Amino acid sequence: MAEMKSVFREVLPKQGQLSVEDITTMVLCKPKLLPLKSLTLEKLEKMQQAAQDTIRQQEMAEKEQQQITH
Amino acid sequence: MGWEMEPLLLAWSYFRRRKFQLCVDLCTQMLEKSPYDQEPDPELPISQAVWILKARALTEMVYVDEIDVDQEGIAEMMLDENAIAQVPRPGTSLKLPGTNQTGGPSPAVRPITQAGRPITGFLRPSTQSGRPGTMEQAIRAPRTAYTARPITSSSGRYVRLGTASMLTNPDGPFINLSRLNLTKYAQKPKLAKALFEYIFHHENDVKTALDLAALSTEHSQYKDWWWKVQIGKCYYRLRMYREAEKQFKSALKQQEMVDTFLYLAKVYISLDQPVTALNLFKQGLDKFPGEVTLLCGIARIYEEMNNISSAAKYYKEVLKQDNTHIEAIACIGSNHFYSDQPEIALRFYRRLLQMGVYNCQLFNNLGLCCFYAQQYDMTLTSFERALSLAENEEEAADVWYNLGHVAVGIGDMNLALQCFILALVNNNNHAEAYNNLAVLEMRKGHVEQARALLQTASSLAPHMYEPHFNFATVSDKIGDLQRSYVAAQKSAAAFPDHVDTQLLIKQLKQHFAML
Repeated sequence: MAEMKSVFREVLPKQGQLSVEDITTMVLCKPKLLPLKSLTLEKLEKMQQAAQDTIRQQEMAEKEQQQITH
Repeated sequence: MGWEMEPLLLAWSYFRRRKFQLCVDLCTQMLEKSPYDQEPDPELPISQAVWILKARALTEMVYVDEIDVDQEGIAEMMLDENAIAQVPRPGTSLKLPGTNQTGGPSPAVRPITQAGRPITGFLRPSTQSGRPGTMEQAIRAPRTAYTARPITSSSGRYVRLGTASMLTNPDGPFINLSRLNLTKYAQKPKLAKALFEYIFHHENDVKTALDLAALSTEHSQYKDWWWKVQIGKCYYRLRMYREAEKQFKSALKQQEMVDTFLYLAKVYISLDQPVTALNLFKQGLDKFPGEVTLLCGIARIYEEMNNISSAAKYYKEVLKQDNTHIEAIACIGSNHFYSDQPEIALRFYRRLLQMGVYNCQLFNNLGLCCFYAQQYDMTLTSFERALSLAENEEEAADVWYNLGHVAVGIGDMNLALQCFILALVNNNNHAEAYNNLAVLEMRKGHVEQARALLQTASSLAPHMYEPHFNFATVSDKIGDLQRSYVAAQKSAAAFPDHVDTQLLIKQLKQHFAML
């Protein structure tokens, strides 16, 4: 290993200027992996949707009834 | 008329084939024929059987696993006094996201949720909550949960489901709870169990359910662990955690069940004692080695405590036991993606696809992984499919947002602009899209537009550091040092380790000192 080290040596320039300019750039928000939904959550959402739909249907039916009676 | 099946058998068959509505309808017909008066006639065993079957079918229709359900209302969250320590030590609480000691991804790489945790790969009813710090944040619907939070849990989902079921029954509810003679039912253990589940899950009348359970456990001379678990469940719903803990512990002494361990751990998590919950899970694992739900519980707690590497370890353990566990695959996949290994993440998501998961989220993730793993041929088709599978506008918005990133990646700025605009069209509150749009506008030199967009973004999502930091940079460039400083401070609060923010603040402080 010692021999290897002597063979490969890094090159560091000892003359000349080294300048680093750090420009602050604006950052983008990162890409977003979407979380998968658990079965329970899917079922809950489905049930909620179904419940809302039935309520809406009932309300529509009631409205129609009222319009007929008026 | 040809052959006709015995109606009760037919109803049973419907029940076992999970055709609950048909089963219920048939049971209703049968109950109309044989007279019943609120309660099954002991002389008519068939009518009793039908009655139980109907109750069970109605329960199954709305049944969700109680272990998974945890919906906190605003009131419970903000007025929560159940936590043991109000100022807990680091690493012992779920409320503080915790400093990232374990070398998990920083917010510069992995987006965070409103509560300051890295976004997870899997969404459960309880991951939706995430405790917000202020009332204002609590009222605002979190980015991941698309339904707004109810005021209290007693006005939430359960009740809405209940009213719907009442509306669908024009003759009123199946069982009139207020007219039930609970003592009588408590003496018939088999009937009582079905009745309890009906009251608890279908009617959501926790108090009556608790009364029934208390009477029943008394009747069984406190020897039935099942009733103790049910009482514990009721106490949990009523937010009486210490009482629930007692019941679960006593049930565990009688009979060790995985479910009971899970319920008890849920109590500890509500009491904000994650370490106790972890110990409990480990105790459970001694009794039930390799039990997936327990392992998964440990992984979830580590993930919530922001200890991503331990979480990943346990998710891998889960996969060793059950290699089709969707949650574990999704979480490990997202971990790999955000630790710069999209090609490995891609393999996990492909596995999900093989298993038959087929939804918008999965195709979106596949598209992103393909793009960052340089498999360009699949990228756009995946996104196209994700868009066609999107169920609502919010999902479509997220897909367009990610597609915008692909466009930025290939240098097509016009496409990127269009994508982010489309994300905003679909979801007007998409803070990330506002921020990225601002960056693109800034590249075109439209400073005022960019500033307006950034302001919108930062007011929509104060937990993200990007809009604050960008606003600080832009303001600094046009010489509005005071605003720049204020925004930079906000950015530093959201992400303390961000080097550029620190540099900017240092520069600004030097400027102010020179004045």
